Amino acid sequence: MKRRIITGLLLFFALTGKAQEREYFNLFTDRDLYISGETLLLKVFAPSDEQSGIVSVDLINTNGKIISGISKKIIDHQTDGFIDLPDSLSSGCYLLCTSTKTNPTLTVKEIYISNQFSGLPESNFALRSSETNSVAEKPAALQIDGLDTTYKTRGKANLTLRLPSELLSQINENLFVSVAEIAPGYNPNTFYRIAKPKKNQIIEKEGVILEGFVKDIKTGEPFKNGIVFLSIPDTIPRFKYYITGEDGHFNFQLDNYFGKIPVVVQGFDPDEKRLLKVVLNNRDSLKSGIPAFETWTISPEFRKSTMDNIDAVTFSKIFNCQELTIAPIPVNKTDDYPFYGVPTEVIDPQLFIELPNFTEISRELLPGVKFRAYNRIPSLQVFSPALHNFFNDQPLLLLDGIPIRDLNVIKDLGSKEIDRIEVCHSKRFYGNLVFYGVVAIYTSKPDYNRVAESDDLIKLNLNVIQPNVTLNVPLEQRLNEMDLRKVLLWKPSLKPEQNINLDFETSDIRGNYKLIIHGKTKDGSTFYKEQIFEVN
Amino acid sequence: MANRILSIITLFGLFAASSLAAQEELPKNLNAEKIKGMSFIPYSSFSGSPYLSEKFLIGEIEFLDGTKAGNLGLRYSSYRDEIIYYNTYLSSQIVIDKISIKGFSFTDGNGVRRVFRRQNYTGYLNGERFFEVLSDGKISLLAYRKVDLGTCDPSYSKLGLAYQQSYTYYMYAAGKGYSPLSLNRNSLLSKFDKPNQKLAKKVLRKNKVMFTDEASFVLAWNVLKENGISISF
Repeated sequence: MKRRIITGLLLFFALTGKAQEREYFNLFTDRDLYISGETLLLKVFAPSDEQSGIVSVDLINTNGKIISGISKKIIDHQTDGFIDLPDSLSSGCYLLCTSTKTNPTLTVKEIYISNQFSGLPESNFALRSSETNSVAEKPAALQIDGLDTTYKTRGKANLTLRLPSELLSQINENLFVSVAEIAPGYNPNTFYRIAKPKKNQIIEKEGVILEGFVKDIKTGEPFKNGIVFLSIPDTIPRFKYYITGEDGHFNFQLDNYFGKIPVVVQGFDPDEKRLLKVVLNNRDSLKSGIPAFETWTISPEFRKSTMDNIDAVTFSKIFNCQELTIAPIPVNKTDDYPFYGVPTEVIDPQLFIELPNFTEISRELLPGVKFRAYNRIPSLQVFSPALHNFFNDQPLLLLDGIPIRDLNVIKDLGSKEIDRIEVCHSKRFYGNLVFYGVVAIYTSKPDYNRVAESDDLIKLNLNVIQPNVTLNVPLEQRLNEMDLRKVLLWKPSLKPEQNINLDFETSDIRGNYKLIIHGKTKDGSTFYKEQIFEVN
Repeated sequence: MANRILSIITLFGLFAASSLAAQEELPKNLNAEKIKGMSFIPYSSFSGSPYLSEKFLIGEIEFLDGTKAGNLGLRYSSYRDEIIYYNTYLSSQIVIDKISIKGFSFTDGNGVRRVFRRQNYTGYLNGERFFEVLSDGKISLLAYRKVDLGTCDPSYSKLGLAYQQSYTYYMYAAGKGYSPLSLNRNSLLSKFDKPNQKLAKKVLRKNKVMFTDEASFVLAWNVLKENGISISF
């Protein structure tokens, strides 16, 4: 009987184990060798069972430090983006790590970046990954017609990809096609790793999540029932709040924000008894530690190719060649009034006689707003028509969309510095927050410097969802300019058809180029087809 | 040996289950935090009711981005055409900003789900209004549940003022606008072409639909819709 149970259980686990076999992220880059200051293009195929709507791709050095990174929205199980490689990067091996907050598998791709000023190391030795869990890809039985073995510089290529109907029926999503220069004598590794995800991670569905915790400065303990504000200054300021639990943890879902946005996070004790410190969680994309590395000898061909590339990058910087066009950021027009409500009155102080400070402005221009300083302690009150009196509590005071609790920040603001003042005289509610009137001041030069950083206030420029980009194609009018493109074709999302016609023009850079097609089949595996040609 | 294998498998199963549990999303109604509004100031007390329901009823609101916040205590003010929400955390009645929501719904005392949609009314006294959706489709049947404060017989109200129902009904299609309706057979039949009117009469007779009140009018509308008799609008 026991034997039967064991066999049954073993069978069950074997079957369920097969069913739960994990797919991995597939990460592809336009090239394997880069020069610092260049832009790296990337493409990601996500597992079909991926729950997260956002994928992060980080550039990491061999010590595990994140150099830069992007977050992209996964659409139809795939995405593409770019990373600007900083000019100051030292020459060596770098890792690109694809991860989500909840998926325990990471896909890591190795690339080589050479510093554009110092070039390759004199020693001729470099590190490369020695991980063995390589991401497998099958060669596909698709045909490339019309691609020659050699082309002249600025030559035109027309080719056709012929997909057999058997393959066409198996393809799950769009194809990814690129033509880019290859680095001779360098075959980097792409491998996967399994990492234990942190507990209670929230799935990023529509945008990135900003996480952290607040602690009591005096005791160092996480603070319960602390209020954390997140403000995004803008023409119409955005605002979110979080009331912390036992662990002092907070998180903000920044849905549908694109590009780089200024963010202010501040935490405070609603009873104003304790001083708090806001700590933001660091990203740890590798999760399971640094992968293993081994040394390799740089080949003379690789060295030559790198030196040529450095020259090309220097020239393209001089000529200011723009390789990419960033797509316009989608504008969310659903919420077209401020979070504090439609103002009862809007005042432009510059239309009136110049007033030296906010006390004078409130006296002369803001009926129903009382800003006074008794014994050098400023106070602010708003008149409520419903109460026929001033609110006893201080109203919500905003400076360029950032909530301010220290009234000294605004006391010296004169008419010249203020663009407009919006006032709400009613008792306003935002979720579980109550505002006893609102005074929102918008300055003429909103640089957010008036709001000082402190333990309980952090200002940062946050990289949220990266907007889409397209590779620039040279125009006929640019024939007199240098064409220093190393990526000749970049089609990250190409609809699979029986015959796909493609054309591209070679640049002024001679060397070996590779046309590569990647795709994903319905069973979750990826396939590729490549063909190398020379430009001379 | 067999016992050992059994315990190892059980342990393995437990670990697998716990690792899956770690990935689950944290349950939290984050959307309720989006509710924006202002303090509710009680209306003057007269005869009649300024509200659609005297009690707060459990319902949900839909924001402009399509997200919803549910399990809220809601009460529709027919007098001011505003939706009042009871915030249990603050123990306050809040008038939700009309422009911040698409609509709301709640279940009334009879267990009927009432759906209200914010729409721009283009007729006399135009502006944003909450309409109750009595029947939805390409052409919707809407009710504007207005209550007016009007003079009345002093025997009814000592102050001579009372909240009086002044409901209006509309046929609405996007791009075509509103067409007023009265709750009677002729008003409904007048919305059909001559040939369809005969057919509509036949269908109503066959289904034994009598026009007595609002419910029977909605029933008649739905019967005609189900039978594919098209309205000329």
